[in-house]
Amino acid sequence: MTDRAMESRQLDRFDWHFLTLIAAILSLGVLSIYSVTHAQSGSGLPLYVKQMVWILLGCGAFLAMLAVDYHKIARLAYVLYAVVLILLVVVLVAGKTSRGAQRWIPLGPFAVQPSEFAKLVLILVLATYYANAPREGWIQRVVLPGLIAMPGLLLILKQPDLGSGLSFLAIYGAMLLVVGMRSKAMGILLLFALMLFPFAWEMMWGSMHDYQRQRVMTFVDPDYDTGGKGYHGLQSRIAIGSGELLGKGLYGGTQSQLKFLPEGHTDFVFAVFAEEWGFVGVLVLLALFVALLILSLEIALKAKDVLGALLAAGVIGMFGFCLVVNIGMTAGLLPIVGIPLPLMSYGGSAVVTTMAALGLLLNVKRRRLSLFY
Amino acid sequence: MTAKDPQRLRRIVVAFVLMLGFAGVLCRLFTLQVLQAAELTVRADRQHRKTVTVEGGRGGIYDRQGKVLAINMDVPSVFGVPTSLENPSGVARDLARVLHVRADEIERKLRQERSFVWIARKLDPEQGRSLESLSLEGIGTVMEGRRFYPKGPLLAHVLGFAGMDGQGLEGIERRYESYLHGEKQLVVLQRDALGRTVFPKGLNEQAPSAGHNVTLTIDEVIQYIAEKELDEAVATTRAKGGVAVVMEPRTGAILALAISPKFDPNAVRAVSPDRWRNRALTDAYEPGSTMKVFIAAAALEEKVMEPGTLIHGENGQMTVAGTVIHDHEKSGWITFSQVIQKSSNIGAAKTAMALGEERVYRYIRAFGFGEKSEIDLPGEAAGLVKEPKNWGRRSLASMAIGQEIGVTALQLVTAVSAVANGGWLMKPYVVSDVRDGKGQVAAQNNPQVRRRPISAETAKTLTGILEGVVTNGTGAKAAVPGYRVAGKTGTAQKIDPQTGAYSSTLFVGSFTGFVPAENPRLAIVVIIDEPHAEAWGGVIAAPVFRRIAEQALPYLGVSSQAPVKLALAMVGDPTP
Repeated sequence: MTDRAMESRQLDRFDWHFLTLIAAILSLGVLSIYSVTHAQSGSGLPLYVKQMVWILLGCGAFLAMLAVDYHKIARLAYVLYAVVLILLVVVLVAGKTSRGAQRWIPLGPFAVQPSEFAKLVLILVLATYYANAPREGWIQRVVLPGLIAMPGLLLILKQPDLGSGLSFLAIYGAMLLVVGMRSKAMGILLLFALMLFPFAWEMMWGSMHDYQRQRVMTFVDPDYDTGGKGYHGLQSRIAIGSGELLGKGLYGGTQSQLKFLPEGHTDFVFAVFAEEWGFVGVLVLLALFVALLILSLEIALKAKDVLGALLAAGVIGMFGFCLVVNIGMTAGLLPIVGIPLPLMSYGGSAVVTTMAALGLLLNVKRRRLSLFY
Repeated sequence: MTAKDPQRLRRIVVAFVLMLGFAGVLCRLFTLQVLQAAELTVRADRQHRKTVTVEGGRGGIYDRQGKVLAINMDVPSVFGVPTSLENPSGVARDLARVLHVRADEIERKLRQERSFVWIARKLDPEQGRSLESLSLEGIGTVMEGRRFYPKGPLLAHVLGFAGMDGQGLEGIERRYESYLHGEKQLVVLQRDALGRTVFPKGLNEQAPSAGHNVTLTIDEVIQYIAEKELDEAVATTRAKGGVAVVMEPRTGAILALAISPKFDPNAVRAVSPDRWRNRALTDAYEPGSTMKVFIAAAALEEKVMEPGTLIHGENGQMTVAGTVIHDHEKSGWITFSQVIQKSSNIGAAKTAMALGEERVYRYIRAFGFGEKSEIDLPGEAAGLVKEPKNWGRRSLASMAIGQEIGVTALQLVTAVSAVANGGWLMKPYVVSDVRDGKGQVAAQNNPQVRRRPISAETAKTLTGILEGVVTNGTGAKAAVPGYRVAGKTGTAQKIDPQTGAYSSTLFVGSFTGFVPAENPRLAIVVIIDEPHAEAWGGVIAAPVFRRIAEQALPYLGVSSQAPVKLALAMVGDPTP
């Protein structure tokens, strides 16, 4: 029995844990989306059904990213990056505008958001860049990859999509950290900065006057606080807090059911969940996410080559960043930037991208014992 | 350094950074969901909760035959949601046209910083329909139960009325509020972010039950007769007002209670609150000669007098305690019966003096004067009966002729009923029973004896004397053809509020009696206040008694003593 046969046919305990965690988080996401939107009578498919369609597509993406050896995928990295850049240009030219930002390409009843795909492609590009040849000196290690990421970042910020832009930076930072010893210090600093960004921001933010904040935020992100007077953040905090220890039960969330909480199915899905299931439910959900991240870290550490390790690190950086920043903004710790909660927020492109990224992660793990590629 | 070390360090750093992020988030969530949970729950509740009282429909009021006197109807009320209005002044103009109120008043309401405001409540159904056809943004209508009195002013003083929120304010509506009002329920409504009200699920299942139905002892027909005759008398005599009360002597049940002038409980604000008063029980007056009935009862019971006892009439003039008591008709020796029948003040004063202070006071109190009858209506007055220790030297004589004493019409009809029914003082009542929606009796009034001031024999003797009042005395105009009537007239001077002395122009004329004398079915008191024409009770009040009795008795199926004569009259007199 060859390794190849083993890896393609059998799932070990690790894989099962990995898949179960993903399925569990996806299910909670669909449940929360259903809870907020089931009473809405809109035309077309209900949102939770749409989300399930996206999850099915995401499963396809997951399997596709798992089936083909990641080294083969990496060879297509620059091509894919070019495609994504073209799509981002298309968005700017012909994209659908919604709430002041031009982010979507309409496709029938659905719409795709290229900036989401761009994140995964950036992981591939940067990992390929570092893995292809030994990169020496800080220009090759830090500046060049930065320049590679730059066009995508600028196109995304032009939409504007601050959330995806920050995710780009997070991926870049995660790569720098993993690339090696010499850039270690810098990488640590950068990732540190990113993770501490919430707290630093809060301190800086706290010292500013209201009108200054308003100016800064509307300059950086027109999405910010469309309701005025911190309405989104306040309603979200009230939703989470009034969930108390045990929650108000499924469909019991008054904040979300009575529409006080905006964007309950997308960026604020965590508040919906927290209101319905309370602190206990939140602990369970966070435990699921942490477990998934620990398994991912294990993959990153045990990757058999630089490419694998970098891919894994990029995925973890993206995933972990979105997770912490989304919950942070929902809980009023961070200014509100449009970052979805991975695997839970409604949004097709994000679901497909995240699942593809997780597929890539499992790919790295399953090929670590493989001798032939 | 080996290759393993940086890897280990990297793992620690990556894990550390991630855990730091998670720890921050977790701390924050703990703060929100545990430390600030109560406070934030209050904030959540405050913005979506609205507590309202939902009440079951108010119970109906029916007469003794089951005829409807008060019911609830669902009518539209209109409210505004100021927070969702874009053009309050335009909306106010549209509303003003339909509601016939000033636009600026509505606009003022609509400009309030509130999410709910009543604009007009309990409108006519047509107004509600035209409002709905306007379909204004931010304006809505709900159906509310409006109290409706289908018979208009009929029995208004007994029924009373209910306020805008359905609470009983006067009369039966007030006294029986605890039965009439529907079950009250606090319902927590939810309000969504747009200010729309979301009714919690299952509201209909827990709908509060309706109030109980109240059945009165009042008979709508007799009430109608009493009101019609009283109003007519008040109108023709150009009196200030009047009262007529009809009681069933054996039970104390009130069959009719008419007050003039009347008001329409459907539009109570149209008249001054003074008009709402049920003056049959709230106002005490000096009864005058009708009081002689009860002095006579005491004298007969105490055997101080007999019908044939001779009393000297002093030729119409007697000095008591330095003041002169006059008789309308000068007389010498007359019988005790004639004293009552001719309403001799001197004879009555002598009778009272023969009885003495203690006995006069005791009997007056025994007949229920000076105390509340505990009728099941609000606002009853006890009247005024002074204790003997506060009496002056003239008081005994004064009280015998119905002065220095304040009584209510209700006390008077109750006391005369005691004469009619063989000596039993009954507790008057207007509600016979209270039933829930399924017809189960929740409360019931049964005839209740308060005490027995006189014996059956005294009552019978006195009835005979009182019959004489009608057959050949001052009450001739109270005679009802075919029935034996017993009663007593009264004409009292009113105290002139300016001089504090008895007025020579302001009178209260009254008649108190019962019929048929041998088996009384109706006890009636009629009081005409400040008539402008003739003031004598025998002239202005006695005819009202007659007209009420002659219509009510056949209605009640009380057989006349002259059926043959009536039958003959109907076919025409056979002998020319």
